[in-house]
Amino acid sequence: MTRAGVNEYVGLFNYQKVLSSSLFYQAVVNSLRWTGLSLAIQLSVPLILALALNQRFWGNSLARVLMLVPWIMPTVVVAIMLRWLMEPNVGLINHLLLALSIIREPIDFLGRTQSAFLTLVCANSWQFLPFGTLLILAGLQTIPRDVLEAAWVDGAGVWQRFRYIIFPLLGPVIGFVFFLAFVWNFNTLGLIWLTTQGGPLNTTLTLPVLIYRRAFRGFAMGEAAAMGSLASVALMIVGVFYFKYLWKRPT
Amino acid sequence: MTRFPVIRKTLGRCLIIGIVLLFLFIALFPLFWIFIGSLHPTADLLQARVTFPPAHITLDHYQTLFHAQYGVKLFVRYIKNSLMVGLSVACLTIAIAGFGAYGLSRYRFWGSETMSRIMLFVYVFPQSLILVPIYVLLAHFRLIDSHFGLIITHTALVAPFCTWLLRSFFEAIPRELEEAAAVEGANWLQILIHVLLPLASPGVVTAGIYALVVSWGEYMFAVNLLMSGAKWTVPAGLATYMTEQAIEWGQLLAGTVLTAVPILIIFLPFAKYFLRGFLEGALK
Repeated sequence: MTRAGVNEYVGLFNYQKVLSSSLFYQAVVNSLRWTGLSLAIQLSVPLILALALNQRFWGNSLARVLMLVPWIMPTVVVAIMLRWLMEPNVGLINHLLLALSIIREPIDFLGRTQSAFLTLVCANSWQFLPFGTLLILAGLQTIPRDVLEAAWVDGAGVWQRFRYIIFPLLGPVIGFVFFLAFVWNFNTLGLIWLTTQGGPLNTTLTLPVLIYRRAFRGFAMGEAAAMGSLASVALMIVGVFYFKYLWKRPT
Repeated sequence: MTRFPVIRKTLGRCLIIGIVLLFLFIALFPLFWIFIGSLHPTADLLQARVTFPPAHITLDHYQTLFHAQYGVKLFVRYIKNSLMVGLSVACLTIAIAGFGAYGLSRYRFWGSETMSRIMLFVYVFPQSLILVPIYVLLAHFRLIDSHFGLIITHTALVAPFCTWLLRSFFEAIPRELEEAAAVEGANWLQILIHVLLPLASPGVVTAGIYALVVSWGEYMFAVNLLMSGAKWTVPAGLATYMTEQAIEWGQLLAGTVLTAVPILIIFLPFAKYFLRGFLEGALK
């Protein structure tokens, strides 16, 4: 609660400043869009992959190990991968799209306001998928096989077994993935900072990026701290809600 | 279709394998392509003429990275630094999370359940928010620009999750074993080290690998807490190749491969162990 440089008590001055800046609201909206879109991808896709990996087939354990690879990759690697593959002149994606005549001119995926956001969401999800899949797989393994077999004997189809047995039993796990993914996505900083730094035209400026920018580029520590506190309070509410109402420890 | 269960089963199996293969392709192809790209001469890279197998294979980019000593670009040094920091973080985390998890699993005290939850709850705080206080705190102890400062910061990032993971492993171990050891005259520390930790070894390995993976890839703290280039970890060093005016794609890609390969070499031998540990411990 101090002004930059001098340790003088300024009351709610920084909050006032933050709450009256339109950039803050833009960052909040971006953060919500970022988290919402990421969650939609990161809850549905791992569920499909985990259901597939929970079946017995040749090479299953190798597939599980290889699937983990994106998750252990450093953020810098993901950022460089993205910048190289999506680059307008030297990148593979543009090269392929041009060769297949899908586009006429190269697209600067990370430089255009229409595409930067979605491109980053995809790259971010690419890295989270293994972790989500792993957790859901752990949940699937707690479902006893004989229950599923009993249902199968009683004539329940694939969809019915999923809808009435797997999905309800998986509820707590999905809640858990939801919580971790929510927090992880809301706080994503490294990938955005290493690629667009919030640009173009602030379309990828999420709250953590704005906080980091204000603190380490603008040296407005007070403002950064005020925004950080507001973000923390919002996330704490989500956290308290999760642990109070959704948290179940399977025994 | 229902009249031909065999066909149906085969179709289902093909679908499942198809889904898995598609995901593996999405997960692995970009990384494979970076490796292929790093073997191409600069001229080919600049014209997007990356092919498999490469038309002209060159190891020039790797040689430049290994021999370059100019400025702050000391790639071999970065790798050594990262290994040193990562292994220290893993050991320290196992020690701290081991004690913490032991306490949480064996002693019921007022607030112990809440405390277990807090182990996960702490992750709600954004990194960009804690960067500044941690910087100030470390500056007080003169730990800025020191590997020790980064090691304790990374440990603080991973220890709560590892504690939570290890706790479930300890809880799965029957108390009778400890009681037997206590009857033989072992104290709690001996019980922890000689009975519990070996029995929870899948959990210990999982926690250690997790700590190592996170520390190896961590960028924001490394780049802000370490000032001198000679102390940088791999992510901090590699990122400087990206911010130049004209990007040297060859060196950047080779550097990316050199960042990814060590952690793969460390991780893959333990991967099965890690998977089992994670699948057993994550949700209990």
